[in-house]
Amino acid sequence: MARMLKFNIFRYNPQDPASVPHMQSFSIDETESMTLFIVLNRLREEQDPSLQFDFCCRAGICGACAMVINGRPGLACHTKTKDLPEEITLMPLPIFKLVGDLSVDTGTWFRAMYKKIESWCHTKKVFDPNAIEERMDNDVAEAIYELDRCVECGCCVAACGTALMREDFLGATTLNRVARFILDPRDERTEKEYFDLIGTDEGIFGCMGLLACQDVCPKYLPLQDVLGKLRKKMAFAAVNNILPSFLKQDIKL
Amino acid sequence: MSIPSIATHKPMTSCKCSAYLDWCQMLSGAFLIMFMWAHLFLVSSVIIGPGVMNAIGHFFEATGMAQLGGPAIFAIFLTHFVLAARKIPFASKEQGLMLQNAKRMRHADTWLWVVQAVTAMIILIMGSIHMWVVLTDLPITAAKSAARIQGGWWMLFYLVLLPMVELHVGIGFYRIMIKWGVIDSKGRFGFKKKENLLTAIMIGIGVVTLLRFWFLATK
Amino acid sequence: MQIIQTDLLCIGAGLAGERVAIEAAENGFSVICLSLVPARRSHSSAAQGGMQAALGNSAMGEGDSPDVHFSDTVKGSDWGADQECSRIFADTAPIAMRQMAFWGVPWNRVVPGEATYYKGGKPFTAFEKPENEGLIHSRSFGGTAKWRTCYTSDGTGHAVLYTLDNRAAQMGVEVHDKTEAIALIHDGDTCMGAIVRCLKTGELRAYLSRATLIATGGYGRIYRESTNAVICDGGGMIIGLDTGVVPFGNPEAVQFHPTGIVPTDILVTEGCRGDGGTLLDVNQYRFMPDYEPEKAELASRDVVSRRMTEHIRKGLGVKGSYGDHLWLDIRHLGEKHISTKLREVQEICESFLGVDPVHQLIPVRPTQHYSMGGVRTNKDGAAYGLKGLFSAGEAACWDMHGFNRLGGNSLAETIVAGMWVGGKVVEFLAGTDTIFKTEAIRAAQQKQEERIKALISGSNGRENVYAVRNAMFDTIMKGAGIFRNGTDLAESVTKLTEILHRARKVGLRSNGLGANGELSLALKIEGMVKLAQCVCYGALQRTESRGAHTREDFPERNDRDWLNRTLATWANSTDDLPTLSYEPATKVFEIPPGERGYGGGKIIPMDNPPTATPKGAKA
Ligand SMILES: Cc1cc2nc3c(=O)[nH]c(=O)nc-3n(C[C@H](O)[C@H](O)[C@H](O)COP(=O)(O)OP(=O)(O)OC[C@H]3O[C@@H](n4cnc5c(N)ncnc54)[C@H](O)[C@@H]3O)c2cc1C
Ligand code: HEM
Ligand code: HEM
Ligand code: SF4
Ligand code: F3S
Ligand code: FES
Repeated sequence: MARMLKFNIFRYNPQDPASVPHMQSFSIDETESMTLFIVLNRLREEQDPSLQFDFCCRAGICGACAMVINGRPGLACHTKTKDLPEEITLMPLPIFKLVGDLSVDTGTWFRAMYKKIESWCHTKKVFDPNAIEERMDNDVAEAIYELDRCVECGCCVAACGTALMREDFLGATTLNRVARFILDPRDERTEKEYFDLIGTDEGIFGCMGLLACQDVCPKYLPLQDVLGKLRKKMAFAAVNNILPSFLKQDIKL
Repeated sequence: MSIPSIATHKPMTSCKCSAYLDWCQMLSGAFLIMFMWAHLFLVSSVIIGPGVMNAIGHFFEATGMAQLGGPAIFAIFLTHFVLAARKIPFASKEQGLMLQNAKRMRHADTWLWVVQAVTAMIILIMGSIHMWVVLTDLPITAAKSAARIQGGWWMLFYLVLLPMVELHVGIGFYRIMIKWGVIDSKGRFGFKKKENLLTAIMIGIGVVTLLRFWFLATK
Repeated sequence: MQIIQTDLLCIGAGLAGERVAIEAAENGFSVICLSLVPARRSHSSAAQGGMQAALGNSAMGEGDSPDVHFSDTVKGSDWGADQECSRIFADTAPIAMRQMAFWGVPWNRVVPGEATYYKGGKPFTAFEKPENEGLIHSRSFGGTAKWRTCYTSDGTGHAVLYTLDNRAAQMGVEVHDKTEAIALIHDGDTCMGAIVRCLKTGELRAYLSRATLIATGGYGRIYRESTNAVICDGGGMIIGLDTGVVPFGNPEAVQFHPTGIVPTDILVTEGCRGDGGTLLDVNQYRFMPDYEPEKAELASRDVVSRRMTEHIRKGLGVKGSYGDHLWLDIRHLGEKHISTKLREVQEICESFLGVDPVHQLIPVRPTQHYSMGGVRTNKDGAAYGLKGLFSAGEAACWDMHGFNRLGGNSLAETIVAGMWVGGKVVEFLAGTDTIFKTEAIRAAQQKQEERIKALISGSNGRENVYAVRNAMFDTIMKGAGIFRNGTDLAESVTKLTEILHRARKVGLRSNGLGANGELSLALKIEGMVKLAQCVCYGALQRTESRGAHTREDFPERNDRDWLNRTLATWANSTDDLPTLSYEPATKVFEIPPGERGYGGGKIIPMDNPPTATPKGAKA
């Protein structure tokens, strides 16, 4: 039996002086294999062409369509209506600046992040087009890729109570990015340089271990493990010079 | 992360304060956990018999550990409070954000934190009163404790404080293991289950202890 | 209106756009990239398989060289490629790949010793040389003589794009995301930048630039069923075509992939069939052997897509709420094989269909996948028609792919062409001054402002933009689908003309304020219909079958009359049809036209076959 689904959708267009934030409900008949991508596009085509939302790859790969679905941040395109109750509430991601309705500006936030942690390989070497590539252990490559899989959807930040309370908190995705570079032998930054980036209360020591990040990440990044190792690494980096040698630890990520 | 805070480009100063404070927070928490376990062990010795408890109490008395240790623990207790309080939102807007987030997400670990913060405030007040009362009335004997508890109000007092403390300790223990990467993501749910069980057992022992005090003949 | 000036304006921040941007920034020029979405969400991130470069490090890639890569590419193109470009590409690809490694791509590396691989569903072992330990590894892809596809797990596009965007951030390349270029600023001779709509606020801005690059990716979204991201709707081609002077090369060269899932048209890899999966119809009958007794499901992409369509047309497709489809069956491969070797497929099926491929059938249909055609450029990446305008990546018809691109060659093209064209852009910037003509800027701005006003007020009409788009979808698929014939194409051209008239009468139903999605579509619907018309009209005129362009009524490849490239311009914006002209496919023949060695089919030879020009010689 096909269900009639009821959607409560947050509406607000900051560019329209007549618009005020409110919830609007829509009804739509459920079809087979229906995803929120199909629902929202049908609502825009059939019911309200002013509805704003973001989709891009619609395949769960690009991270564009993150929104709060019945309370939890997630990717709308790979959320099936079959797995949801008859009444569904959609809200834009908190923390990121609202563009309109369900659409938010993640780009600005993430670019600020790249600048802050200098999200690139720091090296003094110069590329030599005539040389063969530097060798790398395949296991190392795979470990880097495991963390490089983040799609910058912003779910982990939007779900984190710490980030909600403190706007200067870097968030799990940022700390994960730093861990990716710490793992990468091509990045020549020293432990001290990394410490200066994240060994603060805005960084790893601000994380309170709420683990919402781990639980909502649509790409199943091992954020809990990354954050745990980073904390240990940074904490020991701070005290290694005063510890007796048998207590010193050099934490590998 | 705010744009202005990046735009100002304040020069990177290498400060290890945050790391030190985090160490201290964890160590004070860990110490208090151990203390609370030991404490429970000592107090619950009354279940075996008032004599055992008296003997242990006497040992601490005689070696001066109670006189020195008591205030020391009180100091650590306050230190831990000061350190951990850095994380507790005192502005109602922030408290609201955290609470709404936990509700909206129906997310267990976020709720745990809320529980931890709320129990912390209760422990701060009740724990201080409790310590004050016990430490100003040394030596510790089973009889004195029983008398206090049979007064009625103290029974009620402990019945509130006990679960608060055990919840806070239990969650605190779980959180330390998670935050410091001792337990990895694979072990998380198993560990959490065990930790919950441990908390329940602790509360159980505590209640039995209190009952023992309640029914202990005060001579 | 806000005016922003820069040396180089890259319209598009996918792999191609950013690679060009980095080259310019490294040479000290100011660069701004525009993108509909944050740079890293560009569709390049969706490519999973990998990118080709003849490094020859892996056991199965031994003996590979740029020459072999070159010849695979030209054969793949069915000799439609510009061989000079294919040569530049094959020679530069290894350097580009190593540079990406230097910048941080976690390429999978050679693990020495015995390794087990699969071919045709059967395992075999190969020995990876110890001296190659830690060098970039490669995997197998269709149409290649050697295993040469470099990869990072099943997220190559993602990993490369993230690395490139890191590098761009490092070099100070500015990315203005959530912006859409809606027109080029030009005077019919020189390009001076673009009029851009901000997709956060809806405002218009003018970007003035000495050089402008179109790197907007493919135009798959003029088809309803496409594996492409929803943003791949041909914005770059449209603004090029709108100038009236910049030609659209080989619009009819569109590639279809047999197994897009239904309803979301997400790609499931060819590996399913490679490992032994089969295709079933409504009666769960395996039909491919009836059509292709020998190769069955493993015939080439275009052949399988064609047969599937034929079968559906016979009414043997499975009816569903999203149109007819067929089944892909991999159940017999077993749980172990599926959850290890086809993990991605399993994930896609579970997340998007709620189907477990171990026990259930996967609904599939042939789906538009890649556009070989695009903004026609010379081998330096400079667009025909306007000075200061360049193009690279899938948006361009640089033309190394001709009528069929090989898997793994397009991702590689983006960074190789990006590197090469970037160098040429730098030369251009260093040696040329551009005079910005205020009247051209003002005219471009006014025109766009008026268009928006007319759409909001409905002064041209009240056509529903989504209805127009749906009509276009139906029509293009009927005419320029997997296989084509004169009758259907002629009918489509006529219908598209009507649809074009409707597109000119679109009016909004919403108020159009802010980042309104209806307005975004309304602004480009006319252009999209024009692209569709270029595809259909180009296909109607091309009376032969070459690569992905298959005419039922002209099944031979006709080198005598059609070894050339279609150039479509829209000379007058009010015209109903594009103006077509043709140029030789290539000036240089390193490899004269011949058999591809697969796919079969008859060839009508050239009257005066060219002799091979030695490698590196100039035309
Ligand atoms: C599902 C799938 C899998 C694939 N797998 C492979 C593979 O394994 N190997 C391989 O070689 N190839 C593969 N391809 C093809 C390959 O991914 C693309 O051809 C290539 O990534 C195109 O890169 P690009 O930089 O040209 O464009 P894109 O990455 O598409 O970038 C286009 C950019 O232009 C911007 N843009 C578009 N219009 C406008 C406008 N009007 N104004 C401003 N900005 C605009 C977009 O926002 C985006 O930033 C695959 C393609 C698909 C669809
Ligand atoms: C017997 C008393 C107490 C014990 C055993 C105890 C134990 C702990 C432990 C083990 C932790 C985890 C530490 C960490 O995550 O680093 C913790 C955290 C915390 N404690 Fe206590 N605590 C006690 C009293 C208090 C008091 C009085 C407060 C008062 C406010 C308090 C507030 C907090 C807070 C807010 C946290 C969370 C810190 C964070 O998540 O980073 N605790 N406690
Ligand atoms: C040096 C410090 C402490 C001493 C000497 C001490 C001693 C005692 C004693 C003697 C009792 C028995 C009841 C009584 O006599 O009233 C008791 C019970 C109790 N104490 Fe403490 N205590 C100390 C610190 C704490 C702290 C910091 C907490 C928690 C915040 C705490 C929580 C409790 C609880 C919950 C009980 C009830 C016991 C139960 O049910 O098992 N105590 N303590
Ligand atoms: S870590 Fe996960 S949740 Fe966070 S941005 Fe990346 S993919 Fe999204
Ligand atoms: S939810 Fe937030 S507090 Fe830490 S563990 Fe995740 S970043
Ligand atoms: S649209 Fe790309 S992840 Fe959902």
